[in-house]
Amino acid sequence: MRPLTEPETKTLFEKLATYCGNGISNLITDAATGSERHVFRVQGSRVFYVRESLANLATSVKRDALLSLGVCLGKYTKTGKFRLHITALPVIAPFARYKVWIKPNGEMPYLYGGNVLKAHVGRWSEDCPEHQGVLVLSMNDTPLGFGVSARSTAEARKLDPTGIVTFRQADIGEYLREEDTLFTT
Amino acid sequence: MAPTKPAKGAKGKSGKGKSGGSSIRATKSKSAGSAPTGISKRKAKSMSLAKPGGAQRTKSATSEPQKKKKRKYSEKELGIPTLNGIVPAGVAKPKGQKIGKKFVDDPASLMAIMSVVNAEKEGHIESKIMKARHLEEIREAKKKEAEARSDEKKSKFEERKQDLKKKKNRHSEPGAEKAATEKTAKTGKSAKPLRKRVSFG
Repeated sequence: MRPLTEPETKTLFEKLATYCGNGISNLITDAATGSERHVFRVQGSRVFYVRESLANLATSVKRDALLSLGVCLGKYTKTGKFRLHITALPVIAPFARYKVWIKPNGEMPYLYGGNVLKAHVGRWSEDCPEHQGVLVLSMNDTPLGFGVSARSTAEARKLDPTGIVTFRQADIGEYLREEDTLFTT
Repeated sequence: MAPTKPAKGAKGKSGKGKSGGSSIRATKSKSAGSAPTGISKRKAKSMSLAKPGGAQRTKSATSEPQKKKKRKYSEKELGIPTLNGIVPAGVAKPKGQKIGKKFVDDPASLMAIMSVVNAEKEGHIESKIMKARHLEEIREAKKKEAEARSDEKKSKFEERKQDLKKKKNRHSEPGAEKAATEKTAKTGKSAKPLRKRVSFG
């Protein structure tokens, strides 16, 4: 387990910025978490968002014995890109910039791994450009996952009801579907 | 002395005696054959020289005092002109710096990276929104143009329709009919054309 290097931090922030915008600063300064400072740590290829005191304690565990700590944000791919996992949802959800709320009839199709269709959208954030990170919420503001906008809001208005509005990236159904691979290192 | 030493090694446990053992085997085979049993001193010496272990050590021991330690001259002593002494800025590395990965852990540097990344992303988003708006404007303009064109077409069509209607009305106007009857009266014939009549006896 070690802190992130500069290029690693940059790729991580680039990914987080697609969903959070300026909200990442809250993750660094811990305005949201309040009391204690949280840090980013990398273990293997996975990045964890951990309370600093816990990260310091974890140094006493040897590398191959340490499986997980804090919140796993995602992992670095072999090509050096960063892939956000569904476990990062509670971290990015409060600071998300663009959001899509889906109706109850669209929740199940989404949680089974489908994209968000226009017919299922209850409401969406205005002025959302194309291919921008979007948080998917249920109508009672429960975060269900995140994705990438397929069309800008203006274009999506003209779309037919079966057209895709948001491409799914991760959803909370993965906790069941990917149960055996989600937490393996 | 040299041939006896490896024989000792072969008897003992040390791994050094591998070459020695082979030499013993060689001597044994020689003794088994028709070759003379003893080895002449001269031959033995030459054999031991060929081996990596034995005589070389003694040789090096003798050659050591012969080797003079080369004196190292400092640059000042050599009097080399200082012109070529420049090290390019990119090549020179400051001493005492950390080797390997440079970790970023303090909030200040994290914030610096974040601001750079955010500025980049903002730029991207802005450009995307601007592009989308521009495209939307173009689309609107095209739509308006198409609408105007279709309106024009429609109005032309209506005009033509009206024209045709007017023409029809003109033909069926009562004045026009009167003129036609007058014409027939002048000629003394009815309006109807004469029919050919055929009578059979």
